[in-house]
Amino acid sequence: MSNSSDIVLDVENVWKVYCRNLKRAMWYGVRDLGREMTGQGHDRTLTKLRPGEFFAIKEANFQVRQGECVALIGPNGAGKSTMLKMINGLVRPDAGRISIRGKVAALIELGTGFNPILSGRENIYVNAAVLGIKKNEVDRIIDKIIDFAELGHVINDPVKTYSSGMRVRLGFSVAANLRPHLLIMDEVLAVGDVGFRMKCFAHLRDLIKQGVSIIVVTHAVTMLRRVATRSIVFGNGKIVFDGDLPTGSTVYEEMMNVQSSASKKRDEKQVSSKAKLEDITVLNERGETQLEFETEETLRLQIRVSATERIQGARIIAAICSPVHGKVASMSSAYQELKIDLAPGQRTVTLEFPKLPLLIGAYHFNISLYGPQQTDFFQRKTIQGNFRIVGPPLLGDGKGLGGIVKLPHRWDLD
Amino acid sequence: MTENSTSSQEQPDADVLSEDSSVALSMESIDLANEPCVTYSSMSEIRTPVKLFREIYHDFMAGRELAWRLFVRNLKGLYRQTMLGLFWAFLPPIANTAVWIFLKSQNVFQIGDTGVNSTVYILTGMILWQAFIDAFQSPGKLVNANKNMIAKLRFPRESLLLVAVGETLFNLAIRMVLLIPAFLWFGIALHASILLAPVAIFGLILLGLGMGILLMPIGSLYQDVGRFITLVLPFWMIITPIIYVPSTQYPDSLLNWVNPVAPLLIVSRDLLLNGSTEFAMLTIPYGIAAVVLLLFSLVFYRVSLPVLIERMMA
Repeated sequence: MSNSSDIVLDVENVWKVYCRNLKRAMWYGVRDLGREMTGQGHDRTLTKLRPGEFFAIKEANFQVRQGECVALIGPNGAGKSTMLKMINGLVRPDAGRISIRGKVAALIELGTGFNPILSGRENIYVNAAVLGIKKNEVDRIIDKIIDFAELGHVINDPVKTYSSGMRVRLGFSVAANLRPHLLIMDEVLAVGDVGFRMKCFAHLRDLIKQGVSIIVVTHAVTMLRRVATRSIVFGNGKIVFDGDLPTGSTVYEEMMNVQSSASKKRDEKQVSSKAKLEDITVLNERGETQLEFETEETLRLQIRVSATERIQGARIIAAICSPVHGKVASMSSAYQELKIDLAPGQRTVTLEFPKLPLLIGAYHFNISLYGPQQTDFFQRKTIQGNFRIVGPPLLGDGKGLGGIVKLPHRWDLD
Repeated sequence: MTENSTSSQEQPDADVLSEDSSVALSMESIDLANEPCVTYSSMSEIRTPVKLFREIYHDFMAGRELAWRLFVRNLKGLYRQTMLGLFWAFLPPIANTAVWIFLKSQNVFQIGDTGVNSTVYILTGMILWQAFIDAFQSPGKLVNANKNMIAKLRFPRESLLLVAVGETLFNLAIRMVLLIPAFLWFGIALHASILLAPVAIFGLILLGLGMGILLMPIGSLYQDVGRFITLVLPFWMIITPIIYVPSTQYPDSLLNWVNPVAPLLIVSRDLLLNGSTEFAMLTIPYGIAAVVLLLFSLVFYRVSLPVLIERMMA
């Protein structure tokens, strides 16, 4: 472990092997049992993988300090939950080390150990015991737990009569009394109604203030802005980004983009060879290529078009898209009555967005090239000119902007 | 992730709700410096056996309260949705005994010289056999029933084994109550040896538990194990001297040596009913073996869980 005393979690060069084939996994399981019992557990990166095995986590390195709230984000199957399981000590790394200083608690599934036949009150005691809270402690705080869950009216009824939201509320209210040094959570806040969720976020912020470190796995990145300060993005078992949350979420959005682009490749059709879209570049105000922008910076899109014959009045339609939200806006060159006259050779069309009002996120363009007639379609290129808006950060405190666009607006009071 | 959910979360102002967010216990600010450090790596835990046994002991101690809660939870849940309630705990040994008494009355089999009334003899044997089977099957059943919890939460998993012991002892205690009217009705004399019986019975339960824990990991990987056990249990019961008097003559007596349940079961029953036993010498090595087996199985249990979680419970 590092000499720095405020490091709660230290993940050093961790690898994890998985096998998806059921029959093989069963057999490897038996062999691994034998291996463990004879003390032959070893660094699996040094030996060849067995057939059907792959690395679910590759070379993971990161540290979490006291009071940090880290979001693990990434597409499904990228290794986030596997990482959490290893940190929680449920499965062991196949190479590398994970060191944890202090107590760990997990909010993986709320209400674990609930027996549906027993009452809510009885289940509070069971659930608390599963989480390691002592009975006399529960006796002391049980009324607070019931209040927080807002279940006073049904607390003596069997849990099987509760709605799923009520169960989650009860589960969270019990778990809220945990005082670990490191709290790990997996998707648990995606449930429950809005009001209760706000309460949970407020509670998490309290914990962070007290110095609890939190690692949370989620797909709902926008929700996390309320608590998380840092993000670690997983892609295909590797950490592809470790840094602030806004940049992390754009990296994640871009990854989703790449995933969906594979399926969209067929859209990229060229119908006629008369005219063609060449390269498409994103530039800044000074005409330099740039990838990251701030909200309300000027962005220029440069589109080079080539033709093999004369075409009078060609049209270009550009659409700005977000991988998460879909099409944000589209604009045709004809709308501003720009007539693009092409002759054999190349021409450059520029589309400028002065003070681009987009908020933090990853974006790209879909560009289509048409002739003068409605039916003259030449070519369409999707997911071109990727760019990111990386600032200013959106504050999840209910006092800033939200969504993906900053609309011109004014508030008034009579 | 949809636009809807994003925008709906923006609505309530966090300030409104922050005042009642302090459900939790108050606490002083955290100081990490003195906290213990845990390390997970690919090295086998068995390479540091002293540490391993210390951790097993620690988790047994830490798991006591949870074990009690789970035991009570299971018990309450077990009979709450029944009409006959606790009566279901008595029924299996009565029913089994009734079947064998009937078969004996039809002269289907020869029980031999039991020394005491044969109904009490069979009933006692059945109760002891049932205790062994409970202990043998409960680790697998409990792990399977709490799969979700095991795969998702880090709690002292040894508590499940305490629950297994608790449930076995509880069921045994209930069934032992059956012996009271049986003893009275058939006029069975009480011997001082009855005081020694709990030791032998506990050995029997430890043996069942050890064997059950050892089979659990393979059983959770391959369902074949469970099916095979269901298949052989009736045969196993027949070769165990429950409905007949154990043979002391070679080569039949060999069966008492090969069948690990037999010695402890015979001795337990002899101590309960006869006041003396010809098999005392046999028990000591089997008793010691049961304890060693149990210790070994505890290590196996602990070492196997991460492997199982990874393969089967994810």
